[in-house]
Amino acid sequence: MSRRKLLTAIRTVVVGFTLVVFLFPVYWTVTMAFKPASEWQPSGKTYWVPQNPTVGNFKRLFGANPTGSDVLISTPIDATGSIVNSLIVSIGGTLLALLVGTATAYGISRYRAGGKILPFAILQLRMFPPIAVIIPILFLWTYLHMYDSRKGLILIYAAVTFPFVVWLMRSFFDEIPREIGEAAIVDGCSNLGAFRKAILPLVKSGLATTALFVFILNWSDFLIALVLAGNRVVTAPVFLSQITSAATGEEYGTRAALGLILIVPPVLLSILIQKHLVRGLTFGAIKR
Amino acid sequence: MARIEIERVTKRFGKLDAVIDLDLEIEHGTFTALLGPSGCGKTTTMNMLSGLLAPTAGEIRFDGRRVNEDEPGRRNVGFVFQNYAIFTHMSAFDNIALGLRIKKLSKAEVAAEVQRVARMLEIEDLLERRAAGLSVNDMQKVAIGRSMITNPDIFLLDEPFSNLDAAFRAYMRAELKRLQRELGQTMVYVTHDQIEAMSMAERIAIMNEGRLQQYGSPDEVYNRPANRFVAQFVGSTVMNFLPVEIERWGDSLGLRIPIDDAAPIVLAGESGAVRAMGGNGGGGPFTLGIRPEHIRVVGAEAAGDLRGTVTLVEPLGARNVVHLRAGERGFRIVVPPTTRPRIGDDVGVELDRSRIHVFDDATGLALR
Repeated sequence: MSRRKLLTAIRTVVVGFTLVVFLFPVYWTVTMAFKPASEWQPSGKTYWVPQNPTVGNFKRLFGANPTGSDVLISTPIDATGSIVNSLIVSIGGTLLALLVGTATAYGISRYRAGGKILPFAILQLRMFPPIAVIIPILFLWTYLHMYDSRKGLILIYAAVTFPFVVWLMRSFFDEIPREIGEAAIVDGCSNLGAFRKAILPLVKSGLATTALFVFILNWSDFLIALVLAGNRVVTAPVFLSQITSAATGEEYGTRAALGLILIVPPVLLSILIQKHLVRGLTFGAIKR
Repeated sequence: MARIEIERVTKRFGKLDAVIDLDLEIEHGTFTALLGPSGCGKTTTMNMLSGLLAPTAGEIRFDGRRVNEDEPGRRNVGFVFQNYAIFTHMSAFDNIALGLRIKKLSKAEVAAEVQRVARMLEIEDLLERRAAGLSVNDMQKVAIGRSMITNPDIFLLDEPFSNLDAAFRAYMRAELKRLQRELGQTMVYVTHDQIEAMSMAERIAIMNEGRLQQYGSPDEVYNRPANRFVAQFVGSTVMNFLPVEIERWGDSLGLRIPIDDAAPIVLAGESGAVRAMGGNGGGGPFTLGIRPEHIRVVGAEAAGDLRGTVTLVEPLGARNVVHLRAGERGFRIVVPPTTRPRIGDDVGVELDRSRIHVFDDATGLALR
């Protein structure tokens, strides 16, 4: 075997192995979602594919009483509220972070606002996991009457993702020549008008990419939502973790079903803004 | 219609003095070039005229009216940037129309005006195209169109042609001259290319390190450079500079170039340098400046002012540039294409007496 073929073979094996490692949990979730309770964790047996596929898990998620052979579970549950909560706090947090972060990034990029320190001061917010300071924040949020509220979660999500927005958007703004904004100003635009008419359309792709990134972070958060909310305001990931029943213990099938549903928004969003993601950033204003 | 007055304008960025004590008056309807190497303050000056930057000190007046505090959009200036700053997400039409839309003109008026400008620039068939898809040359025209659309009193062009290819640059130079004549507006043109400035401008302001070096017609800055910097910066083949000792010879001055067998060059009494020297023959040290095109090769039998050995010949078609070495010193001469000495030849040259400049080394100023 030639050296070249050997390399190709090694590469194939490595890629294949990586794919299996990463895709297996997805496969397991998808199949689990359609397994009846009897196939969730049978003793001494593994069902690689559902033997008796069912949509009972999905039905149960939305309040249906389990029937048939799956009558192991008694209390009905409903995930609708938690999904709505998740949508509201994730989207709210994303919009807030984008609004504040983009403005900050523009100030830093164009006017060097805050000098050299500010961008790094913002970045250092990400130098430790947010969970490290969650207990003080819990006290703060309680004091501010934001514990267990949607607005509290929106605010903390915006704060946590703000550095990402600033750093991502800043690099996009840096790409845009200063003259673009100046040209609009000489033509009679106000500073804000120049930003809106001339600059913002050029960072559309960047903004879309950043929005998706931030949304996924917020959408998949578990720990913050668990600590700062969880009684009145339950987000989908927190709800998912609590699906248990006396009869079966952990309800793997129902959880997998909810997991599958939770994958939908990010995937849908990615497809919607695919054009921007794929195109990346093509700034054609300047022929260098 | 606008006359620009810049009075004692200084612009400081932190510790950096970008423009220092600039005084400049630009008459209505003239084509003026701001010429200088990069970092000389010409773009800063331009941005102060457009209102993108505010002067640290001094006053800028348009037609006698102070504009220091006026917003860029209210100064009625058109600005063409070096990199065009075309809005690539819009069509060419929308790019040009922007200024009018901000002024809230009706749709029909906007369309008519854009058509008018497009006709002048011969870009009517490009209007519907997305600006991102235009060639650099067309982008440049769109940028000029955008600056023209509001009928500005003053056009400011910041190195607009430096990204273009040579052929189109030459074409656009002529086009711009034509446009300027047709519009009859005041045009200020920033460039670091002295050929561009010489060929287009009626007046040239040469700047260096934030200071105005000379302000005059192309003819003046070429023939009567105020100082050594201007002398060196203007001219397609760089001026020769040779150290010189000055002696008084009755009514005239004797310039002795301290190279082995160089004969003293006698400047007659009417020469500017002689007048500037007045009675004293001393001072200095001084430098003699002479353009390569003002040095003539003498016949084999004549001694000439200087003799040198040919080290390089650059044939440029219309003329040859010959590099010579005399003792420690190198200098260049421009000769007709028929004269083509070989490397190593010993050549005698004569300096055109009326074209000799003398610079005071201490101040850099020309004696005249």
